Formats: sequence, structure tokens, C-alpha cells
Amino acid sequence: MQRRARPLLGTLVEIGAPAGHEAAFEAIAALQAGLSRFEPGSDIARFNALPAGASLRVGARAVEVLTAARQLQADSDGLFDISLGTGPAAWRLDGDRLHKRADGVMLDLGGIAKGHAVDLAVQALQTHGATAGWVNAGGDLRVFGGLALPIRLRDEPGGGVREFAALSDGAFATSHYAPGSRSALSRPLPAHVSVAAPLCLWADALTKIVALTGRCDHPLLARYDAAAWRHDAP
Amino acid sequence: MRVTLAPAALIALAPASAFAVNYLSPEQAARLMFPDADRFDTQTLLPAGSSRALGVRVARRGDAVLGYVVLDDVIGKVELISYAVGIATDGSVRQVEILAYRESHGGEIRLPAWRKQFIGKTAAAPLRIGEDIANISGATLSCTHVTDGVRRIVAALGAARRAGALG
Repeated sequence: MQRRARPLLGTLVEIGAPAGHEAAFEAIAALQAGLSRFEPGSDIARFNALPAGASLRVGARAVEVLTAARQLQADSDGLFDISLGTGPAAWRLDGDRLHKRADGVMLDLGGIAKGHAVDLAVQALQTHGATAGWVNAGGDLRVFGGLALPIRLRDEPGGGVREFAALSDGAFATSHYAPGSRSALSRPLPAHVSVAAPLCLWADALTKIVALTGRCDHPLLARYDAAAWRHDAP
Repeated sequence: MRVTLAPAALIALAPASAFAVNYLSPEQAARLMFPDADRFDTQTLLPAGSSRALGVRVARRGDAVLGYVVLDDVIGKVELISYAVGIATDGSVRQVEILAYRESHGGEIRLPAWRKQFIGKTAAAPLRIGEDIANISGATLSCTHVTDGVRRIVAALGAARRAGALG
């Protein structure tokens, strides 16, 4: 089992596996290049620059994440919104064509793509013969192959780190929203939540649903075989 | 999927304050980045306007220079990151590898002696899950400092090469 780490996805990505590190890092880098709104040539940046009525062809990675985002948007009655309020109904995916239906609609996959990047990295590891391992993108992580990965939780207000759980064959993601934190949510602050799910894409995305609703028993969680915890007020 | 929550007794303990992971030694990183090199010459690089010298490994095969590996470390709010940047002879970044990561919530991260003993440590220690691990879930730490550092290194290396200060 060898551990390696690289700066990717705006954070530190660690991979622990017996083989396949290179391919897994490459899968993450490719997803970042294709989907980050901060990468000028990415599908998302190009979409954001389009005028209303125009469309563009997007790559397979974009299709996967946009499809999941649309499904989650529908399942959550619009709570999950990758347009961040700029036009929830103003983008449409038709096959691999992404249509812009209004000026000003800007997409941001920050709330879901990191989880998918972790899943793709796990897939790459498995393709390259790793029977067990983990991928940790700054706390959004997934472990496979029967390892029980101890997870520690950063104590956001008090500092320090505490034992939280051991995770096997699944994914775990945490989101923290407070004045000055990197992510913004249109909801009374603060929120500090974690979600465990079989895939990291769902763990990552569902933290937003739990943070927005404050509900660890939100019906969507069961649909994705997920469990949630709030670390702020009960 | 299986999640086993830590027992309440463990959660109630005072929070731990420091974690460290060593990934690669500078030598291991240099070999990963330039597998065709038959030797690495060590030089130091003093970026203009900086008082801190950077370690550079010049990757060579025979008389030819294959590229450079520059070592640096950056300090964030609670984390200290040592990293290596592999740079091709055309000045482009080939690879960035984290050599070591330490997260600390105590005061020691600011102490030079503490930093010194940490930098350049090897990654030879075998995997011991739960002892040295940093599977810490929380507000995502930014790696802006590393990104900024890479940019500084590329500029400093380019300037040094133009000035003929590097082999």
C-alpha cells in the first residue's frame, strides 16, 4: 500500500493503494480540466460564456455530472441547483449537447464534481489492479476493498480533530458553512454536516441537501442509501 | 457500505492536535518525475527578492539536462506542506508531488526548529492506518499556498536559467 498526494481540485488529494496512482491522479486532473468553471477551456467555463439560445457539445464527464445534478435537482424539488440561482431551468442537456436558454445563467459543479472525481479515481485504481485502497480529496473520500478507514473530523469552531467513525466500502463527505468559509449557501448559517453514501458523488452532493434543510432524516438520503450527521446544533 | 461510529467515550476525549504523513522523499520524487535520469545534481536557487534558498535537483542523462526538481514547503493556517515541482527544460511544469503533509492545531507549526526536523523526512515508514493518517473530514483545506508556490518556483527557475545560474 503506497500513499501519494498531489494538489488537485483546489485541495490536497491523497491516494492510498498498491498500484494505479498515476492513472487515478490523471482521471482527477482530466475531470478538473473539463468541469472546473475556473479553467477557461472547460465545458462549464465555455457554457457560462455562451449567449442565450446557444449550445455546445460537452464531454462524457460533463454529461455524467450534469445528469446526476439534474436528477438531484428534481428529487430535491429544486433545492440542489448547480446554477446557484442564476437560472435553474435555463440549462438543458440533450445527449451531449448543453443548451443555454437565458442570458446570465452560470453553472458551478463545485457541489458535486469533486465527489465524482473521487469515484473516477477509485475506478481507475481498480482498473489498474488495486484490490483495496482509498482516495481522499480534502475530506471527501472513498474507501474500497474491505479496509476500515478511520475518519477524523475537524472541529470547526474549537480547532483540533476528533475520532468520528470507521468507514468500509463507501464514501464520506463533510461540508461546513460559516461566515468566511469557502462555500456559500443561501441559508441561515452555520451548518456543519457529514454524509456517508456508497458513491462519493452522492455523499458530496447530499451534504448540500442536509445543510440546506438541516434534516439528517431527509427522504432523499434513503433513496441514495446514505446516512447523515449534523455536527452543529442538533 | 459500512460506517462504525467512534464510541462516545472516544469522542469525548480532548481533540488530537497534530497529524503527519510523509509521502515521498525528495529522491523518490525526483526519480518518479524523471525516470530516465542517470543522476541528479543538487544545487541551490536563491529567488530574486527572497532570503530563502530553494533546493534544486538537476536531472541528467549523460551530458543532457532532462529537467529540474525544485523542493519547497509552504505553511497555511493549520497545515505545513512540503512539495516537489518537476519542471521540463522548456520551463513547463511536469508534475507536482506532495512530499509531506502535517496538520497541526497547536502552536508548533510556526517554530523554525519544528519545521526543520520535518522537512525532507523520508516516506519509508510502512503504512499504519490510524496512527499517522490524515483522513480528516471538515472544511476543505485550500492548497492555494502550493499553487502560489509552484508559480514562484517556475518564475525563479526561469530567471536563474536565463542568467546562466543553473546547469
